[in-house]
Amino acid sequence: MGRIMLENVTKRFGDVEVIPPLDLDINDGEFVVFVGPSGCGKSTLLRLIAGLEDTSGGRILIDGKDATDLAPAKRGLAMVFQSYALYPHMSVRKNIAFPMRMAGIPQDEQNRRIEAAAKALNLTAYLDRRPGQLSGGQRQRVAIGRAIVREPSAFLFDEPLSNLDAALRVGMRLEISELHNRLKTTMVYVTHDQVEAMTMADKIVVLQAGRIEQVGSPMELYKAPKNLFVAGFIGSPKMNLLTGAVAAQHGAATIGVRPEHIHVSPTGGAWKGRVGVSEHLGSDTFFYVEDTGLAETITVRAGGDLELYHGDTVWLTPDPARIHRFDDQGLRIA
Amino acid sequence: MSTKASRTAARLMISPAVLLLLGWMIVPLAMTLYFSFLRYNLLMPGMESWAGFENYRYFFTDPAFWPAMRNTLVLVGGVLMITTIGGILVALLLDQPFWGQNIVRLLVLAPFFVMPTVSALVWKNMFMNPVNGIFAYLARVLGLQPYDFLTQAPLASIIGIVSWQWLPFASLILLTALQSLNSEQMEAAEMDGAGPLSRFWFITLPHLARAITVVILIQTIFLLSIFAEILVTTNGGPGTASTNLTFLVYMQSLLQFDVGLGSAGGVVAIILANIVAIFLMRMIGKNLDA
Ligand SMILES: Nc1ncnc2c1ncn2[C@@H]1O[C@H](COP(=O)(O)OP(=O)(O)OP(=O)(O)O)[C@@H](O)[C@H]1O
Ligand SMILES: [Mg+2]
Repeated sequence: MGRIMLENVTKRFGDVEVIPPLDLDINDGEFVVFVGPSGCGKSTLLRLIAGLEDTSGGRILIDGKDATDLAPAKRGLAMVFQSYALYPHMSVRKNIAFPMRMAGIPQDEQNRRIEAAAKALNLTAYLDRRPGQLSGGQRQRVAIGRAIVREPSAFLFDEPLSNLDAALRVGMRLEISELHNRLKTTMVYVTHDQVEAMTMADKIVVLQAGRIEQVGSPMELYKAPKNLFVAGFIGSPKMNLLTGAVAAQHGAATIGVRPEHIHVSPTGGAWKGRVGVSEHLGSDTFFYVEDTGLAETITVRAGGDLELYHGDTVWLTPDPARIHRFDDQGLRIA
Repeated sequence: MSTKASRTAARLMISPAVLLLLGWMIVPLAMTLYFSFLRYNLLMPGMESWAGFENYRYFFTDPAFWPAMRNTLVLVGGVLMITTIGGILVALLLDQPFWGQNIVRLLVLAPFFVMPTVSALVWKNMFMNPVNGIFAYLARVLGLQPYDFLTQAPLASIIGIVSWQWLPFASLILLTALQSLNSEQMEAAEMDGAGPLSRFWFITLPHLARAITVVILIQTIFLLSIFAEILVTTNGGPGTASTNLTFLVYMQSLLQFDVGLGSAGGVVAIILANIVAIFLMRMIGKNLDA
């Protein structure tokens, strides 16, 4: 079981309120991702749940029981840190065994769980090495192994992949998703990489300055962002936000169109512009279109075989069904 | 420094310094060795003659030799024990956030800046003196008999004084090591269910191992040749109760003007220092490997 509820949780460092009163419900077995820009309080929120920081107000309930003042070890949660936080002087085996040793689990049970975790994480060959003799990805797996063997009611991850190179990151992302499918344990995952958020999450929590901007499934956030911040944050490349006359035509203060929802044509369409930078990725091409008179640049996504280059004139046509409208407060108009 | 050329260049560059240091060391060492085989007394200059191992025989059979040997080891061992254990405790305290941290850290360091002779004098006259000392005063306040530290427990008293001098050094080195401990490691251990004592034992202490090794090795070098504190406080007495090897050499060579005997003592001290060094490196030297 791993149901985590935050009720009116606040956090202040001195006079600075990093987390204003906040409510959040994390269901058992859910994969919840916290995203947001740097410094928005993602790590702080995670550390509050872990018990590594004291709350300044509000309650934290784990499986219905008040855990606000419970010591970290008593909450039954396991955490994987960004720096892995392995114990450098212990072998991989001892690292993984450490939480069980502290809990006084019998030796043969310890060995059984270590073997199982090592097998699941491809660490069997490295059990007698020290962390210093492992690669980044292997260290990350050891850290995950150390978390698994405790059989926690929820896993907490704080940007676990940010120290890895791009290829390894994709691999570990899959491994963690797979782990979640297999264990069905609650996972709370902090990242500022929105690809990780979109691909891994059952539920994304978008944070800004400690406030929750929107909670929902990746597709909900993509299809119906509640406000301009979420609209701009979710989706890559970013949604084009247009103000002024075009927006007024749609009865809104701002309209947003995603790059993939704009049709590009060299011959005719709604908005005329000139290609600035173009990024040909093979499968897709991104054009940064200038001189439309609507915004500085409009980003559009086209198929990989559209041959347009710097300086070419293009016409853009937004998909009318996929135009997001926002009022002058930045809130979505339904 | 991995290419052949850069390694050769590096050797060439450091060779003058190495040669100079070597000369600096070898010449006095060779002279000491040479003198130790001479019958050479400053009261009878110009009468030097070859003595073979006679000086060594005298030195070893001196009734003060074995006590001095024992005292040297007890002194080094005692001070090492007190300063490393005490240093760890002080470092742990200083690592806690508290008001006036910087000033307190500076104050803790202060004893290290006091000259050994001065601090020994202060301890002898202001603290341990059985009539005027603070300890005697405290004892009288409590209705106890004042204790004459330097007469009744001379070696222990000197260990106390020297430990007081070296505690700041140990504390400081250990404090910097402590500050380099990754806080996420501590938090991970906390989440793993390790209590404060387990965290100290399994995380902090292994992290400090290298710094502790450095403290022990550096201190040993200096502690083997403790001299001023003994000269100022007990003069090696009562009897030979607080005579260490350095002090014995001093008594032999300078008080009896016997350069040959003193040199033999010096050579013995060097050999002892090397034995201790080998022993220490065997025991804890592996901590220094990365
Ligand atoms: N111990 C602290 N004392 C004072 N302020 C702090 C402390 N820890 C964090 N903060 C502040 O709280 C805010 C949130 O920090 P937090 O580490 O949670 O950000 P984050 O969302 O995890 O950012 P990042 O993506 O860069 O890791 C920041 O403005 C930070 O300066
Ligand atoms: Mg963070």
